[in-house]
Amino acid sequence: MIDVFQILNYFFGIFSSDMMDIPLIAPIVDYLMQIPLLNILVALILWKPFFAVVIMPGLVVLTLYLLYIVWYERKLTARVQWRVGPLEVARPIRGAIQALADGIRYFFQEAIVHREAHRPYYIQLPILAFIPVLLPILFIPAGSAVGIYTPYSIQLIVTFIALIPITIVAIGWASNSRFAYIGSVREAFMYFAYEVPFIIAVISMVFLYGSGDAYVAVEKQSAIPGALLNPIAFIVYIIAMLMATSRLPFEIPEADQEIAFGPFVEYSGILFGLVMVLAYEKLYIMTLLFTILFLGGWSGIYCPLLGDLNGPLWLFIKSIVVISILVIVRSIYARYRLDQALRIGWTSMLTLSIIALIIGGAVGVWLS
Amino acid sequence: MDEFIDFVRGGPLGPIKKWGTRWSLWPVHLVTACCGAELAHAFACGYDGERIGALNYGIARQTNLIIVEGAITRKMARVLRVTWEQMPDPKFVIVMGACGLEGGLFWNGYHLVKPSDVVPVDFFIPGCPPTPEALLRGIRQLQDKIVTGEAKTSATFSEIMLEQGRKPRVLPKSPKKVSKAPAVLVNVPKQVEWEFGEKLVEELKAKIDAKSITITGKNRIAVKVERDYIPKAALKLRDMGFDHVKNVNVVDVPNEDKFIVEYHFSSYSVKELMPVVVNVFADVPRDEPEVKSLAKIFPSADYLEREMHDFFGVVFEGNPWTGRKFLLAPDAPEYPLRKDFKLEKEVYVR
Repeated sequence: MIDVFQILNYFFGIFSSDMMDIPLIAPIVDYLMQIPLLNILVALILWKPFFAVVIMPGLVVLTLYLLYIVWYERKLTARVQWRVGPLEVARPIRGAIQALADGIRYFFQEAIVHREAHRPYYIQLPILAFIPVLLPILFIPAGSAVGIYTPYSIQLIVTFIALIPITIVAIGWASNSRFAYIGSVREAFMYFAYEVPFIIAVISMVFLYGSGDAYVAVEKQSAIPGALLNPIAFIVYIIAMLMATSRLPFEIPEADQEIAFGPFVEYSGILFGLVMVLAYEKLYIMTLLFTILFLGGWSGIYCPLLGDLNGPLWLFIKSIVVISILVIVRSIYARYRLDQALRIGWTSMLTLSIIALIIGGAVGVWLS
Repeated sequence: MDEFIDFVRGGPLGPIKKWGTRWSLWPVHLVTACCGAELAHAFACGYDGERIGALNYGIARQTNLIIVEGAITRKMARVLRVTWEQMPDPKFVIVMGACGLEGGLFWNGYHLVKPSDVVPVDFFIPGCPPTPEALLRGIRQLQDKIVTGEAKTSATFSEIMLEQGRKPRVLPKSPKKVSKAPAVLVNVPKQVEWEFGEKLVEELKAKIDAKSITITGKNRIAVKVERDYIPKAALKLRDMGFDHVKNVNVVDVPNEDKFIVEYHFSSYSVKELMPVVVNVFADVPRDEPEVKSLAKIFPSADYLEREMHDFFGVVFEGNPWTGRKFLLAPDAPEYPLRKDFKLEKEVYVR
């Protein structure tokens, strides 16, 4: 028994040494910290690395964001089309839990594995695809809260983002259906079209800040945000983000009118629920990186009542605003053909990204 | 299907399942007829079906409701069944329109199947076509069925009593009497001012060994030949500049115990012949309906001959498709357009 208490005390010491300091809930935290066994749970939740990864901007707000963005997108599209959108499920809050109802319905539906599928991969891959989607959260800092601090965080995040399409191509391959095959090939083509300009745009910003450290990047943007320091990289990043997450002008791999959701056509039930949110989660991760690189990251008006929560909150609010602006393209643009998108990627975007690289180098010399 | 309703309602997680399924009925729609326009209206800005959580979705694998719009033919029945089996359980079916209910406009047709024979139907929406309000009410009724577990009709019709003393309709008894005058005349002569036509008739008379050649209207000539002579006549017409078969037609004349097989020839290449249609026809006995095929001479006749073989059972010797179903479903009854084809008996229930 003594050993157990010693171990618990050891962990409590680690957790309580580096806790989020939030004056708003400080009395409650102080009260809970006096209760044995419960205090270790509270200390764990408010432990900065845990808080960054699991609470904010990590998994909990990611779930909330998913519920919000699906509803918001449907509501916005409905508004553009002079409709009402999801409403009756919860009238007082304008149907805001529609995505929850859809998720529950998917969860209790049959997950069909068709005869032609490569069975083990078909079932594993939707779950495996979450590894490259969720791992970047470890390295995304939000103010003082960060999962794992590293001076190469921006490069690491880009690396993980570049891994995501591989899982989608593998999903299409495991489905072994003709629409899934066409979707996979389109996804692979699009991957080559956006990935090179995207990485060059990020490298230009790394040149500009002189470091791959997110803290340095945010510190250098204290006067002028990165969007004004290197507007060309800003544009290239936005277009690459639309391409990477299959938003509508570039919704080529998942075009549901042509190839019926492409790689995901055979999935049903909870497996489809998992693969459907992949693109939204990718959008979230890319927007967090976008906010850090171009919009000043977690810097904002400091509210003394929130203390350490200021950083994560500002990062989250900025990301949500950016995403909410981005989803409007879904309801107002038509879809490009594959060859048009490839031409955009390999000509104008590549040229723009190289110009951005030169600007990034020049401004970087001026800043340092 | 009651087992799906039981699944949705049962178990310790029943209330959650019920709530989720109720507010997330995504219809995949199988449009075979005009009801599709009403469905579009129901989900457009006027009525907006997305209000009640029904998002129109194109892919069967990811939905749980199928709305059948219109008549289901024997060929479409297979499609309906495949679509239904693609969908993950629990799944529901709503059938919309009079055609899906009892056949509607196509009632008692040889090609029709009732959707309720193919898939288990939860709700029918009557109307021709049903209004968008009716469709949305059908979806609301399905939601209520998921919640309460029992299907209720929401449309009640006032019952009209048959008038006293009114005699029921008497159908003529078999054998039906028929007049002795020829029932169908293909070559009724008509006086028209058409000089080129008269010249053409002279030319045809010189070349074709016909029973009769008549002008039946401006630009229309009817040529009656023996049935074995049709290919020779076709070769002669091809030499004259007629380069395609516009139409192959069969007329069933049961009281004279014959089919009339018509070939309509016209031309795309010779300018004077472009408006002219020459109808070469022959009488074929009903017990031995055989004609020599023109598919080798005019490829455009191939498709039409197959179709006529489907519907009338006329054998076109030399057409490779003879003996198989071409346009009809494999299980369709034989020769449905013959006059003596037996439909299912009309049954009135009082």
